[in-house]
Amino acid sequence: MTLSEIANGKLAPRTGIRLDNISKRYGDHLVIDDVSLNVEPGTVTALIGPSGAGKSTFLRCINLLERPDSGTIQVDHHTIEPGKVINAKDLAALRRTVGMVFQSFNLFPHMSALKNISFPQQKVLGRSKEEADERALQLLERVGLKDKANQHPGRCSGGQQQRIAIARALALDPSIMLFDEPTSALDPEVGLEVLAVMRELAEDGMTMIVVTHEMQFARDVSDTLVVMADCRIIEQGDPKAIMSDPQEARTRRFLRAVLER
Amino acid sequence: MDALSAVLQGLPMTLVLTLSAFAIGIVGAVPLAVGLSSPNAVLRLVCRLFVDLVRGVPIIVWLFLLKFGIQIGTFKFNPVGAAIVGLGVVSIAYLAEIYRGGLESVPRGQLEASSALGLANRTTFFGVLVPQAFRIVSPSIATYLTGLLKDSSIASTIIVSEMVFQSQSFARQHPTVEGILPYVLVGILYIVLSLPVAYLSRSLDARMRKAVYA
Repeated sequence: MTLSEIANGKLAPRTGIRLDNISKRYGDHLVIDDVSLNVEPGTVTALIGPSGAGKSTFLRCINLLERPDSGTIQVDHHTIEPGKVINAKDLAALRRTVGMVFQSFNLFPHMSALKNISFPQQKVLGRSKEEADERALQLLERVGLKDKANQHPGRCSGGQQQRIAIARALALDPSIMLFDEPTSALDPEVGLEVLAVMRELAEDGMTMIVVTHEMQFARDVSDTLVVMADCRIIEQGDPKAIMSDPQEARTRRFLRAVLER
Repeated sequence: MDALSAVLQGLPMTLVLTLSAFAIGIVGAVPLAVGLSSPNAVLRLVCRLFVDLVRGVPIIVWLFLLKFGIQIGTFKFNPVGAAIVGLGVVSIAYLAEIYRGGLESVPRGQLEASSALGLANRTTFFGVLVPQAFRIVSPSIATYLTGLLKDSSIASTIIVSEMVFQSQSFARQHPTVEGILPYVLVGILYIVLSLPVAYLSRSLDARMRKAVYA
């Protein structure tokens, strides 16, 4: 069984997401300037760019952890206009469709690895404890951490914690996964474990949007590369094409800086 | 050992005052702590004013105000009632501040993860925030409880016959060197009483540390 089959009990529904004219400002400070992005079902989009470009903020706008000031989000027949009142049903649908993995893992420290994955299933999807635990164990096994089921996150390495966090998000059957610099807090070797899980998930056909500095991953795994700088998207397209022949001077400067270190 | 039996006569009252006020505080501080960190600015301000007012006035003044300053129809507080209500309200204010600090010290990422998972606000509060905050605040709560135990002696000033009141009565009847004895004994008793609280707090803290990190 593949990772997303375990998550779903069946093949994941293929859902894309469409964001139009998203803008966000903190007071007078513009952080996202009229950004639009269409993500096709089953594709991987890598979001790269210098820090401060607004990548993470934009990603967090997608599941409304940050509330954009204007724009529209279309996912799974729901259209959300964050500038207006968002009804609870749309918000719940959005959060159910979209799973998220954070740079700092954000596992619940007072729960075992198993409970971290099982608890949200029971609360959000209303699954029984037995069913949720079984799902959790299957997912833990798949990310190679079955032996950590009863350990608390504090006893797990960063790479292990991040894999548990991925399992926790997958357990809720999302059809889109957001990754916010999932390996940036990990040393390079440990980051590979996490990237391997993400690769597998991409091969399963999960729709993924990944903010990352891992250029190798972006080149090999993503279908679309999106370059952000100064609060907007400056270039997007085929990753290999952009990396070998960037059209924008800003992209060239950024790629030179990250690839030549 | 007349002195000892005199002091011990006050022990039940000391325990009643301390435990009643603590129970009032533990429960009453929950809504106040939620109010203190409410997004509603008016509610926040009202709660803040209440906490600052209660904490800004010495307990002895509150007890005098309650005992001698309140008459509603024919209702007046008896000494024990005034002491329990006074110490209880003061406990609410102090414990609410402790709770609020605990809730705010839970990392922001925990709330973000809960939102991203789609957990309801209630579930996030009781399932994610409170268990982590409790671990953080339990030593402070134990410290407050030992403080409250000693502060209950202030009730002696409004004629509640707890341990210090009993010591004073004994001393007044024995105006010799013997008169100092009940104060020595009552001091020792307070220390003895606070030991189990300190012990409980340490073992609770150690156990929860283990529950979080083991």
